[in-house]
Amino acid sequence: MTDINSEVFADATAVQGDVMIELIGVDKFFGSFQALTDINLKIARQEVVVVIGPSGSGKSTMIRCINRLEEHDAGRIIVDGVELSEDVKNIQEIRRETGMVFQQFNLFPHLSVLDNVTLAPKQVRNMPKKEAEDLGMELLTRVKIPEQAKKYPGQLSGGQQQRVAIARSLAMTPKVMLFDEPTSALDPEMIGEVLDSMKDLAKEGMTMIVVTHEMGFAREVADRVVFMADGQIVEVGTPEHFFTNPQEERTKLFLSQIL
Amino acid sequence: MTTVTDDKRATPPTGAAYWVRKNLFRSPLDGAITVVFGSLSIYLLFRAVMFVFVNARWEIIRVNLKLLLVGRWPSDELAVLAISFAVLGIWGGMVAGIIAGRQRQAGTSEAAKMTPSQRTSDLVRRFGLIIATILLLLLLTTGSGPWLAMLITLVGAVSGYWLGRMIGSRRLGSAGNWALTLVMLAIPVAIFFYMTSSVPLAEWEGFMFNLTSAAAGIALSFPIGVLLALARRSKLPLLKSTAIVYIEFVRGSPLFVLLLLANVSLEFFVPEALAPSKVVRAIVTFTVFSAAYIAEIVRGGLQSVPNGQSEAAKALGLSPYKQTSLIILPQALRAVIPAQIGQFIALFKDTTLAGVALGILDLLNGAGAITQQPDFRGQGLIIEALVFVAFLFWVGSFTMSRESQRLEKKLGVGIR
Repeated sequence: MTDINSEVFADATAVQGDVMIELIGVDKFFGSFQALTDINLKIARQEVVVVIGPSGSGKSTMIRCINRLEEHDAGRIIVDGVELSEDVKNIQEIRRETGMVFQQFNLFPHLSVLDNVTLAPKQVRNMPKKEAEDLGMELLTRVKIPEQAKKYPGQLSGGQQQRVAIARSLAMTPKVMLFDEPTSALDPEMIGEVLDSMKDLAKEGMTMIVVTHEMGFAREVADRVVFMADGQIVEVGTPEHFFTNPQEERTKLFLSQIL
Repeated sequence: MTTVTDDKRATPPTGAAYWVRKNLFRSPLDGAITVVFGSLSIYLLFRAVMFVFVNARWEIIRVNLKLLLVGRWPSDELAVLAISFAVLGIWGGMVAGIIAGRQRQAGTSEAAKMTPSQRTSDLVRRFGLIIATILLLLLLTTGSGPWLAMLITLVGAVSGYWLGRMIGSRRLGSAGNWALTLVMLAIPVAIFFYMTSSVPLAEWEGFMFNLTSAAAGIALSFPIGVLLALARRSKLPLLKSTAIVYIEFVRGSPLFVLLLLANVSLEFFVPEALAPSKVVRAIVTFTVFSAAYIAEIVRGGLQSVPNGQSEAAKALGLSPYKQTSLIILPQALRAVIPAQIGQFIALFKDTTLAGVALGILDLLNGAGAITQQPDFRGQGLIIEALVFVAFLFWVGSFTMSRESQRLEKKLGVGIR
């Protein structure tokens, strides 16, 4: 397989170790509007990639294609050796291995916090109830809210809800975590607690793709930063390269607007 | 900032005089409205009380009580009714007990948090009306049989409740839960077959017809309606269009017309000997009719569940069936409880249409028939008869509406 990225982005995309996710020439249309144009991206195991860019640039669409919440119209997406196809079994398999955290949390309001976390292990992995609950409590402890287990999502603050959402995804022991603007709907004082949970996760070696506007997080945690605009990947590089020496005009303009 | 000293802090005024001034005579207009509507209400109340306790001749109801409640159910088969009622009481008690036991175990029980006196007033509020109505009916009966039957039913219901709570507070495992669910579903079906083995369904009359056909219509139309709602949102064109055609056709025809059609049109398709009885036709028509309405109500509920819910379910790897059954449907059904119960209440009352359309001697038809009896003919007693009919339907509808509010409050936990 030829590495299309290598010509465009030099060594910034050079992936060390084995490839976890690969997008090759991915296009996505909403009606006649082209949301993604020729997206090529390789992500290594245990790598943390932060995707930034102006709104409407296709960041969310890109990661939503990876677990088939959106269907790509051209190109190939390969997750841990399994290529996304029409085959429902394939899609289910990739979704089981891929956790996702949403901007709006999307916790299940009719289930308690613990039930939110244990639902997928019980229903998808057929884990016995007791075992699932032990796992659930362990994960809630990891995101530092074990005491909220019996409450309902509506009784929690935004930051707590988002941490439950992270625990819920982790309960499936995914190989990849996708974060779709996980802190954008939070009050400022709650952003830190969610980012801390994400940092812990990165330290433990989780492969992560994070769409975010938190530049501090990108600088501190990311292995690589991907900048997108108008449905295309404009520039890819290490945080250091990215924040000190961006090459593309579009990148410089964006950074000057937000920093 | 100024501090409010104790002597400046006004105590809110209390007392009856204050309440009257504040709520009834705040302004001259308020006062006028109070006087006009107050006197009108008092007048109407006075007339109603005078009618019920002085002028009305309830003899016609007392004499015909059995006819009104169970139609021409054979007198020597009344024991079957009594036994069925008692078993139904045990069953109802057990269901309530199992639910209560489960809630206690899960720590979501409201009753467990109440003081004994709160609990009593809660029970009175829930069942007081029904118990009072049954007592009233018992007072109109003659002989000790009905009293005995009701006493056994009451004892059965209470002991069923305790038995249910004992079962409900145990962990049974999934096989045990399935078995329990099956047994609890089988009991009313078994009672039904026991009763029909004694008196065929075709001969069920009186208020019993209204109650059982409404219960059957509700129990059958609910799952069908849910499936229709899901079919209408399906991506499969044939399934979707079938559901749309069904729903729109049924919703576009008056129930009365469908009942009349059910009465005459079946003969075209099936031989007379195989044709179902009027009661079965009525139940099928109620089911067909109500399912279309339930489908539209549930569809509204499905649309109210945000897209993010199914996305989160998908992202976790849940199968499409589990996305719907575990995440989307529970939320959708909760959102539309008031409308669903409203539909059930409407169906309950609409069972009186079957009496007229199919010529079944239901409560309403029975009430008309008894005024034609030689003893009561031409005495204008139809008012007494209709008031009695309206009262029984009101008790049923009001109880359903009350329970719906309870359910709504209960299931609303965490949704806020």
